[in-house]
Amino acid sequence: MDEFDRIQCRWCGAQSADPKQCPTCGAPLNTADLVSESGWREAPRLRDMSEFRFGNCSCQVEGDIVPVVETTLAAGEGVYFEHHAMLWKQDTVPMSLYPITGPKRSLLGLPHLVTLARGPGRIAFSRDATGEIIVLPMAAGIELDVREHAFLLASESIAYSYVRVKGLANILHGGNGMWMDRFTAKKSPGLLVLHGFGNVFVRTLASGESIQLEPGSMLFKDATVQMAAEKIKLSTGFLGGTSMNLARMTGPGRIGIQSMYHHHASDE
Amino acid sequence: MSAYTCPFCDSQSDGAGSGCPFCGAPVNITLRRTASGWLEMPPMADMTRIQCGQSSVQIEGAYVPVADFKLADGDGVYFAHHELLWKDQGVSVQLSSLKGGWKRLMAGLPLRMLTATGPGRIAFSRDAAGETLAIPLRPGHTVDVRENIFMVATRAVQYDFFDSQVWFQTKDGDETETHYPAGWLLDRFSASGEPGLLLIHAHGNAFQRVLAQGESILVKPSGFLFKDTTVKMSLHFERPSKGFTIWRWGERYLWLRLTGPGKVAVQSAYGHTHDPGGRVVGCSSATERQW
Repeated sequence: MDEFDRIQCRWCGAQSADPKQCPTCGAPLNTADLVSESGWREAPRLRDMSEFRFGNCSCQVEGDIVPVVETTLAAGEGVYFEHHAMLWKQDTVPMSLYPITGPKRSLLGLPHLVTLARGPGRIAFSRDATGEIIVLPMAAGIELDVREHAFLLASESIAYSYVRVKGLANILHGGNGMWMDRFTAKKSPGLLVLHGFGNVFVRTLASGESIQLEPGSMLFKDATVQMAAEKIKLSTGFLGGTSMNLARMTGPGRIGIQSMYHHHASDE
Repeated sequence: MSAYTCPFCDSQSDGAGSGCPFCGAPVNITLRRTASGWLEMPPMADMTRIQCGQSSVQIEGAYVPVADFKLADGDGVYFAHHELLWKDQGVSVQLSSLKGGWKRLMAGLPLRMLTATGPGRIAFSRDAAGETLAIPLRPGHTVDVRENIFMVATRAVQYDFFDSQVWFQTKDGDETETHYPAGWLLDRFSASGEPGLLLIHAHGNAFQRVLAQGESILVKPSGFLFKDTTVKMSLHFERPSKGFTIWRWGERYLWLRLTGPGKVAVQSAYGHTHDPGGRVVGCSSATERQW
């Protein structure tokens, strides 16, 4: 393959000279995409020991049932993470608190601390559940909303905040909580890595197109996708009935769901 | 002419596709049978498609598979409400109550089933790593399934439940407690007029074997997955030899005895079977052994 011969990764859009694996997100390039008849695309299953780069740093994904993301940080470069997602680190890697403004996280049901680790050195992360690593390289201007407790790590160049899901119904019934993590690549690109519980599927909704989800299955979405709680009344006839709560996602934009979700109680 | 009999669902087909058209099990694989006789139920290949009448279902994913139904106009499936992953807006969902509501409530089972009617798409998954198993039910075929394993069934499949009749009682002071190691109730699915499809979710990996008449095997009660109706269930208590270990009074191993003839299946990931120890003051049919 000469220098002008490139393959475009269908997951992250980056161009690769390596015909087997995307250097930006680690997705295999020599396997067919798995797309269901209903239009959901399976997230690329990263091969054990896949390696990819961001900035002057690199990541390696290890294992396949509960994968570990091992990061090699260059001097002065950093990643931040929820403190309980760290698996191990070299003792030379310094850690500090990631500065966050806004309401107290502990009152919102989010982890109390977001921790920042800086290179040089190695640090590794994993979640305590069967699932898949979802690598989301973010170009400048991209904004993603992520369900709570799904974010594994993000590069320091990505801005972090948490947003309130609008609508009282979301708070009471949507089951996705009042807040979601919001990641924004403002001026420079960066990397966001998530842990999806079970298998992860992605689809892109056209403008105005919508789909109804079990609220607990929502993993991430473009900030352009609107999310609203929807109560579906279920009747059994005379004076009988109950309801179930679904999340209506309306495009335009990309949404990702996870197949092992936390079910949120309905009225039953 | 039917040239291929699926070793997992016993359905006959021409074996021309990559999977059994009735249960989705891969066709061109080497059967994995343990030395002890368990047949490993192979995971369905990602994106396997099973036709059920005018409708179809596609199995997607490997760790926590999703069952993605394409329902034809007027076709329907039923399911417990917590199985739903997503649906098209056009798919209508109705509620139907089940008989024995109080008993189901006490047994921790859903009180109602939801029915979804096509046309449109609707998908289901469980919140645990494992395998989706498709059990095609021919007219006259009935299968008993452990409670809380059921995922979704086509409308042609009839649903019922019954007492497992596997229980024991312990006494603590004046309190007598009844325990149901295999669940208080068992789900029973059958097809009468036309064939149907039943999907269940096994936690971990699933294994099956066929027990001969009178042959029995002891399994962890919470590992039991499904069985033919001809297979009988009973309890078996074992007390280990004391040896150098001092066992507390009342400590024991608790087994579920499955006795043939018929097919049985187990799952490799199972919940803890609670046995508080103490004296057994009553039980269903049981055997006992002191080592």
